[in-house]
Amino acid sequence: MTDDNTPETDGGGTGIVAPDDETPTWRERKERTTGLSRLTYEYFERARREDEDLRRESDYVERDVLAFPTWPHEIVRNLAISSFFVGMIIFLSATLPPHIGDPANPNVTPSIILPDWYLYWSFGLLKLGYLNPELSILGGQKLMADRTYGVLANVVVVGFIAIVPFLNKGSARRPVEQPLWGAIGIAGVTFALTISALSVQNLMPMDLRVLQDLTFLAPFVTGCIAYAVLKTMREGYMYDLNRRYYRLRPPK
Amino acid sequence: MSLQKQDEHDHKAWLENKDLSPVERGFLVSLIWMDQRFRIVDYLELLETLYYRVNLQMPKSHTEQYDLDNKFWYWYPLYTLGFFSTLAYIVAAISGALLGFYYSPAIGGAAGGEASVAYSQIAFIMQDLQFGFMLRSIHRWSAQVMTAAVFLHMLRVYFTGGYKEPRELNWLLGIVLISLTMVFGYTGYLLPWDQLAFWAGQIGVEMALSIPLAGEWVAQLLFGGFSLSQSTLMRMYILHVFLLPFVVTALIALHIGIVWVQGIAEPH
Repeated sequence: MTDDNTPETDGGGTGIVAPDDETPTWRERKERTTGLSRLTYEYFERARREDEDLRRESDYVERDVLAFPTWPHEIVRNLAISSFFVGMIIFLSATLPPHIGDPANPNVTPSIILPDWYLYWSFGLLKLGYLNPELSILGGQKLMADRTYGVLANVVVVGFIAIVPFLNKGSARRPVEQPLWGAIGIAGVTFALTISALSVQNLMPMDLRVLQDLTFLAPFVTGCIAYAVLKTMREGYMYDLNRRYYRLRPPK
Repeated sequence: MSLQKQDEHDHKAWLENKDLSPVERGFLVSLIWMDQRFRIVDYLELLETLYYRVNLQMPKSHTEQYDLDNKFWYWYPLYTLGFFSTLAYIVAAISGALLGFYYSPAIGGAAGGEASVAYSQIAFIMQDLQFGFMLRSIHRWSAQVMTAAVFLHMLRVYFTGGYKEPRELNWLLGIVLISLTMVFGYTGYLLPWDQLAFWAGQIGVEMALSIPLAGEWVAQLLFGGFSLSQSTLMRMYILHVFLLPFVVTALIALHIGIVWVQGIAEPH
């Protein structure tokens, strides 16, 4: 990449080369040819013309084709993808069949009570009661019950995810273009994992205090690492990008 | 010279007009013969178009222009997760409809620890019904796969900025959909009425009750009371097989419809 202001001739810029008056058209190029290829060309021109005339005469209505035909292109491809995925689901079902536990019994509390895996994060948020501050103004009482605190934590998490498009605008489409938002995403993913680990605390082979600290420390750490990595990657990319791109879409 | 209009597509007359060597003549005759039978001209036209396309100077795409094509290819396999979750949803719907023939959402007079009607119907499906075990397995796995695919789909959309400016509403709709997917899962795994279902239901009731002000109202609406009972199971069943399928299917259609109208955000 050069730093002077001379026009670049390496094919940068728009990439469109306008034909000048000297440039022969394709027709002219073909007409220059001789011999058999010339004969072939002449015959095909006639044949094409014939086709065209016949088409004009007929009452068959030709439609403009605006896209790939649905059949067979799209359908065959979609059928292939669909059968592969459905086949994977059936394969999983056959190899790892479901389990059914004992009948419901209100009198016997299981040692471990858990929802299905995709609700672990929400269940973990319910166990954040230890963060519920005991206010001295209330004489060491808590303002709200621990359970209420947990439900509110759910609202906060979902609410934050919901307003992301209203906070982050612009045309950036890759994490390297926005290291901060990339790092927030990585921290969020890590938090989803650590909060799930907190919800299965009975099964985690570590001290509860350590687990509670890690729940918030680990996302922070991975977020910072992701930020540093993405920043570095962006510097690397920016070196390769030409300056026009840099000027058009300044990094956020 | 005759008065009759000359047929300008008379290839034979055209051949006679030309002064051709035997090689040229033989070539043209066989070419015409083949073309009249196999429409070679069509295929040659295709080849010709291809040739010009390849040799033409096309405007560079966004990616080529800024030399970015080595920077985002790794996102492409992730661009099918939405389709994958829709597919799993359809499989779950079909297998669920079949399961619905055999399941009945009743606790009956089952006391603590006894098998309720719901539980014994599940046991019947898994033990006695032809292909019942496989059917329940497929239903459960497609639900798991759908949930996982929906989560990963959301991550993909987040990290490729697919939620940005003209697409905020679809992101919000997506959050509603992922929540409803989890509600779908929750109401689903309560139905067998085994220990997992019962105690997960217990968590749900307590969560509902801990909502400030509206808690008791929500608990009664969703769970039919402050403790788990027949009405809890019935409500979960109605939610799972009647209410949610219509709502979620409509919202998925809307979600995909918006993607269709707006197009998929171009990665760059």
